[in-house]
Amino acid sequence: MSLPCGIRNYSYGTDTAIIRTKTQWVLFILFLVLLSTMPFYLPRSGLEVMNLMGITIVSIVGLNILMGYCGQLSIGHAGFMAVGAYTTAILSNSLGLPFLASLILSGLSAGLVGLLFGMPSLRVKGFYLAITTIAAQFIIIWILNHWTDVTRGAMGMRVPIAEIGPLKLDSETDQFYLIMSIAALSVFFATNLARGRIGRAFIAVRDNDLAAEVMGINVFAYKLLAFFLGCFFAGIAGSLYAQYRGNITPEDFTFVQSILYIGILIIGGLGTAIGPILGVVFIRLLEQLVLFLSPMIEQVFSGLPTGFATGLSPMIFGLVMIIFLIFEPHGLAHRWQLFKASYRLWPFSY
Amino acid sequence: MDQLLQYTLTGLAVGMIYALIALGFALIWKSSRVANLALGQLVLISSWFAYSTLVDFKLPIWAGMILTILFAIFLGWMIERFTLRPMIGQPILSLIAVTLGIGYFLEGIVTMAWPISIARLPLLFPQEPVTIGTAVISQEYLWAAGISIVLFILLSLFFKYHKMGIAMRASADDQLAVQACAVPITSIFSMSWIFACVVAAIGGILISSIGGITNALVETGFKSFSVVILGGLDSFIGCMVAGPIIGLCENVGAGYLTPLLGPGIKELIPFVIIIIVMLIRPYGLFGEERIERI
Repeated sequence: MSLPCGIRNYSYGTDTAIIRTKTQWVLFILFLVLLSTMPFYLPRSGLEVMNLMGITIVSIVGLNILMGYCGQLSIGHAGFMAVGAYTTAILSNSLGLPFLASLILSGLSAGLVGLLFGMPSLRVKGFYLAITTIAAQFIIIWILNHWTDVTRGAMGMRVPIAEIGPLKLDSETDQFYLIMSIAALSVFFATNLARGRIGRAFIAVRDNDLAAEVMGINVFAYKLLAFFLGCFFAGIAGSLYAQYRGNITPEDFTFVQSILYIGILIIGGLGTAIGPILGVVFIRLLEQLVLFLSPMIEQVFSGLPTGFATGLSPMIFGLVMIIFLIFEPHGLAHRWQLFKASYRLWPFSY
Repeated sequence: MDQLLQYTLTGLAVGMIYALIALGFALIWKSSRVANLALGQLVLISSWFAYSTLVDFKLPIWAGMILTILFAIFLGWMIERFTLRPMIGQPILSLIAVTLGIGYFLEGIVTMAWPISIARLPLLFPQEPVTIGTAVISQEYLWAAGISIVLFILLSLFFKYHKMGIAMRASADDQLAVQACAVPITSIFSMSWIFACVVAAIGGILISSIGGITNALVETGFKSFSVVILGGLDSFIGCMVAGPIIGLCENVGAGYLTPLLGPGIKELIPFVIIIIVMLIRPYGLFGEERIERI
């Protein structure tokens, strides 16, 4: 079903290629052209949404490795993003490191913190691990709030905008190219990771850890690797977010954000390459729609409570998350597969 | 030294409320193996509901309490009927995620309906402080602890002797066998959610009569996770023992560590306890030692 009609494998090279047919190449190049010319026809607000999407995609790709492929539920992803963001802030403020160096270091530091909190996965899984990661979220945010000498607490930190060599990426368009290229790189990396030995080992651990161990997979090592990689991406996303916003506070990385990320991944589709992208696009567009509609609704119905506009988006989001879990637990990625399968057979889909 | 007694008494009383909220979690876990992560939001929304009945509608206290409990019953029934029941048999990851979704949804409702985000419940208990030894403790704490203990005893008796309670324990043990005995398992799940919501509502009212209603109540819910973890997930007695321990650690620890580490250490202690318990004894003090490890 994964191959279009009439296409066969004649070599290992074609078997492992991501893009198989001419049509796929054409569509892919069209998509790239469309994406890279976006700054020319999208308004500034549209670019802002795209940038936010790009950052979230990087973060969700990490969560997908951890939760989708390796099956380790993490409800502290925003906390790990915060580690990355603050690492960037501290490194570029006090040491004046160039952006790319602090980007990598942020990823590494978030990954190491992830390793630390992934340790209990040696002994526990499921709900216990969920609670541990919740504790991680609260402990990280608490430290950021109270270690005022370094993080300036609730006041937040200023972060200089990214510079690569002589280029200062201070316009929305520059940021767009930076964020999108990193997002594309991480999606590419994660897709290939999932198809290789490591990804297969993750899937084995997720599906049946005992069987995985019998097959010679070092379960604990792979779980820790999943934590490291997942949090590495979270750190990269946090670092991007920090330099994009220019000012970060612990309030940017709340527990609610962590739930949002899990919801996005579930809506997109756990353990699929395209899931994170679909989920992020869906949720961010939904958010924009709510932002756009709620003033109108408030005008039409005058008797609404005053908190209507702020409460509407978490409410709708929670509802969407519940509905997806009940009716489409495989997420939008599954829908997308069904759609592809049906149009390949169309009009003879019997 | 007089400080120690003071911290101990407050800690024990607050711990009893945590234990009460944690009881709601253990109830659901015992009967249906669902981890309810929306506990904090349940506490929050029922405290706000109580606030509305007492302040906005100016009902007498007894009527407000009854209405709040009815609301909690309704909420529990709704949640079970429309979100958890379609999910029976799904993997644990989905079950946890769906409760997170419920929490998010409830938080949206709270922001929508009560945008003031901080309030004080009217006085429910007499105000004169009581002196015990060298410590002075306000009566709210004592009342809260007393009500928690009474509720705990009632619930334990219910589980021990009432037919429904026995059925609930049985369904925790073996769902198939219970169904074979013609016990409607869905109504057991419903009952456990209703009980959990009522317990959370009472705990919410008690804790917000002490500290006021803020969004920090959600964190109170998470603090009671440390109670469940320490006590063991499926043990009532574990909750009742671990609750005061957590409250004690929190208050005594905060009392002595605040000068060293700065204010706010109080919020951190339960989460540090979670991590420590996870590393040393993940099944808790009284939990079944059938930890799914690898």
